[in-house]
Amino acid sequence: MNGADTNQIKEDLAFFGKINASISHELKNILAIISEAAGLLNDLTEMAATGKDVDPEMLKTCSQDIIDEIQRGFTTIRQMNIFSHSADDPAKEVNPTDCLKLMIGLAGFLSVACQIRFDPPKTDIPMVYTNPFRLQNLIYQTLVFAFKSVGPEGAITVSLHSEKGDAARIHFSGLGSEPLRLFPYERASMVAGSINAEFQIDDNNQTIDIMVPQLEKAMH
Amino acid sequence: MKLLLVDDEKKFAMMLSKRLAFRGIEADYVHTGDEAIEMVTNNQYEVAILDVKMPGIGGIELERQLRKLAPGLKIIFLTGHGSETDFEAGSAEAAYYLVKPLKIELLIEILHELTG
Repeated sequence: MNGADTNQIKEDLAFFGKINASISHELKNILAIISEAAGLLNDLTEMAATGKDVDPEMLKTCSQDIIDEIQRGFTTIRQMNIFSHSADDPAKEVNPTDCLKLMIGLAGFLSVACQIRFDPPKTDIPMVYTNPFRLQNLIYQTLVFAFKSVGPEGAITVSLHSEKGDAARIHFSGLGSEPLRLFPYERASMVAGSINAEFQIDDNNQTIDIMVPQLEKAMH
Repeated sequence: MKLLLVDDEKKFAMMLSKRLAFRGIEADYVHTGDEAIEMVTNNQYEVAILDVKMPGIGGIELERQLRKLAPGLKIIFLTGHGSETDFEAGSAEAAYYLVKPLKIELLIEILHELTG
C-alpha cells in the first residue's frame, strides 16, 4: 500500500468517525428531551396524586413531544444505517438525489449548520456508478465549507442537475464571504480525485459545483 | 434562587425550566448565546446552565463572555458528549459539567451546593 492509499484510508476513517460522532450527539439530544418529558409527566402525576390541579394540555404536550422525538430518533437511526452501509461496496450504482438528501440531513446536525434549501431536480438524474461513501464525503466537506462561509444564521441552496458528458452536477449557491479560493481543501481534492469527480469554483457568483462522472467514466 | 438556562433544543429548555419551577427554582430559558448575553445584561442570576454545542456562540465562548458581564455568576455546562475531555475544560472555569440526559435530582443537589 502506498502513501496515497494510506492517506485515503485515514480520510475515510476520519469521515466515518465525524459522522458517527455527530449522529451520537443528535441521538443524545433526542433522549435528553424524552427524558425531560418523561420526568415532567412524572412530576405532573405526583402533583395529581397530592390533589393539585394538573393542566391536561401539559400532559398532552408531554406525550406528543415523546412521540415526536421518538420519530426523530428513528429517522436519525435510519440515516445512520444508510450511511454505514454506504461503505459496503467500493463502487455501485448510486442515486445522486438520495445521496445528496442524506448528507444534507446528516450535515444539518452540526452546530455550524445554516439553513439549507434543496431545489429538487427538474429532470431525471441518472444513477452514477461511483464510490458512494466518498461521494458523501465530498458533499459533506462542501456543505461544511458552505456553512462556515454564511454562518448559522445564513442560508444556502443546493441543487442537482443532469449534465451532458457527466452524470450529475451538484450545485451549491448563496455562499458567503469565506474566500472560495480556499476551497477545495487538500482532503477534499484527494477524495474527489479518488472517484474522478471535479470541483468547479465560481468566485464571481459565489458558487461551488461538484461534477460527478458518469457510470462508464468512474474509476473502480 | 434564579437561574438562566441556555440550550438550543427548545423543548428540552422549556421542560427543564418547568420541572425546576415545580421544585421552587425560577429558571429563565433562552436558545442562543446572544439571547443569553442580553438576559444576563438585564437581569441578576446566581447560576447559568449552558449547553456546550450551540449554533453561533457556543457554550465555552459564552462562558467567557458571561464571566466578563457577571463575574460572580456560577456556571454549569451541559454536554451531550460522554467525556469530560470533549470540550476545552482547561480554558473554562465552570463549577460543574453535566451529561445529558440529565438527572434532575443531581442538578438540584449541585444548585443548592453552588448557592449555599
